[in-house]
Amino acid sequence: MISPVKIWRRQKEIRKILGKKGKVLLWTKIFTPGIDFKKYAPYPVVLVELENKERVYGQLVDYDNEDLKIGSKVFSILRKVRASSEDGVIAYGVKFKPL
Amino acid sequence: MTSLIGYYTTKFGELWDKSLFDLAEEAIDGVLKATNLENKQIDAVFFGNMLAGVLGNNLHSTSKLAEILKINVPIFRTEAACASGGTAFNLAKTYLDSNSNKNVLVIGAEKMTDYSPEEVITALSAAASGEEQEAGLTFSGLYAMMANFYLEKYHYTEKNLAYVSVKNHYHGSLNDKAQFRRKITVEDVLKSAYVSYPLKVLDSSPISDGASAVVLTNNHDMIKKQKYSTAVLASEVITDTISLKSRKQIDEILATKIAADSAFKNAKISRKQINVVELHDCFSIAEILAMEDLGFWKKGQGGAKIKELSTMYGNGGNLIVNTSGGLKAAGHPVGATGVKQIGEIFLQLTKQAEKRQVKNAKYGLAQNVGGSGGTAVVTILAA
Repeated sequence: MISPVKIWRRQKEIRKILGKKGKVLLWTKIFTPGIDFKKYAPYPVVLVELENKERVYGQLVDYDNEDLKIGSKVFSILRKVRASSEDGVIAYGVKFKPL
Repeated sequence: MTSLIGYYTTKFGELWDKSLFDLAEEAIDGVLKATNLENKQIDAVFFGNMLAGVLGNNLHSTSKLAEILKINVPIFRTEAACASGGTAFNLAKTYLDSNSNKNVLVIGAEKMTDYSPEEVITALSAAASGEEQEAGLTFSGLYAMMANFYLEKYHYTEKNLAYVSVKNHYHGSLNDKAQFRRKITVEDVLKSAYVSYPLKVLDSSPISDGASAVVLTNNHDMIKKQKYSTAVLASEVITDTISLKSRKQIDEILATKIAADSAFKNAKISRKQINVVELHDCFSIAEILAMEDLGFWKKGQGGAKIKELSTMYGNGGNLIVNTSGGLKAAGHPVGATGVKQIGEIFLQLTKQAEKRQVKNAKYGLAQNVGGSGGTAVVTILAA
């Protein structure tokens, strides 16, 4: 279950990893997601290694198919990550864009 | 020494007329009948189940089992995602290691088809890290990431993966308890729709209902009375990070490697002595990684080795893999799978595997995985 408090707690951490460059370590494109992500499918998800070696998961947006490969250069941005909760709180999180 | 003296499994599949506990009851009745045991001869029960709390709002299932069994004994539930059944078996064996002359029942059961695929996918993702869930990753997505990495690193294609499902569907056609009895071709696999690129519907195990049960004992008089028995040489549980991103290697499941090394050491046998294996092919890539991590194939060679189909029944190989049909064709009721795998090895070693009976099978191994590799259970049995 997603509660507003849980979203608030997570979002305190997100600002630290925004606007960072990195490269794609792993990728896939999800065609059959769970409930909260159904309306976004299909969407690519990447695991990115930032320049400080930290590894972060996120969806890739504004991409071309040739960006879907190991080693692609990307940077982190703030985006809505899932459908709004019943309380109306919008869950923001990290996504990536090709550099 | 602990012996496995009986096995029963329900059919796996979309069993709309049966609830979770109908299935568990059928498995219990079946295994008690197979071993000529009465309820009151059971000294403890271990129950593997993952999703009843998340999907069905059913917890305290141990007490429900006591109601079905009409006995008052210790009953424990284990949860380790898709390795819930394997860990239940491991705890049952560990229980017998410290209690003499006892009979222990191990049940694995899951009810999944009452819910929409999206609901089941969401519930299964509870076994991934919070960060993976928040990125919209699913289990097919996590294994797809491993598959993309493996295919690129060792220069294989989706076609190499397809052979896993072709083999396992053939085995499923020989198992009347399997969810899918239909043989498929490499072309069928390649034409099926993507679930998470590069994995397709026919690379993936299905959503299933089912229950499986075995009885373990360390009572020598009981073993003597039984028509069938196999020795449990080793059972090892190893855990690792829940997040794929925290692992050093992406083309291996480290927990499987450590559990296998430890199991072979404790069983005092070599890999070459194993005749039958049931391994965790939740997705086609998982069977290839497992064959390498268990030490049967060299790292990176699995993609080429699977194309030879030497592990398929009837091809004259020394090691036959997933005669039940594996998770792919037999079905994957997640809590039941780990118990069914061990049960299938029991059937092979006691010559009860009918149309898919591997000749002269003396030693067998089962590998059960939870999550993307956060838990692995490796069990070795001897005829």
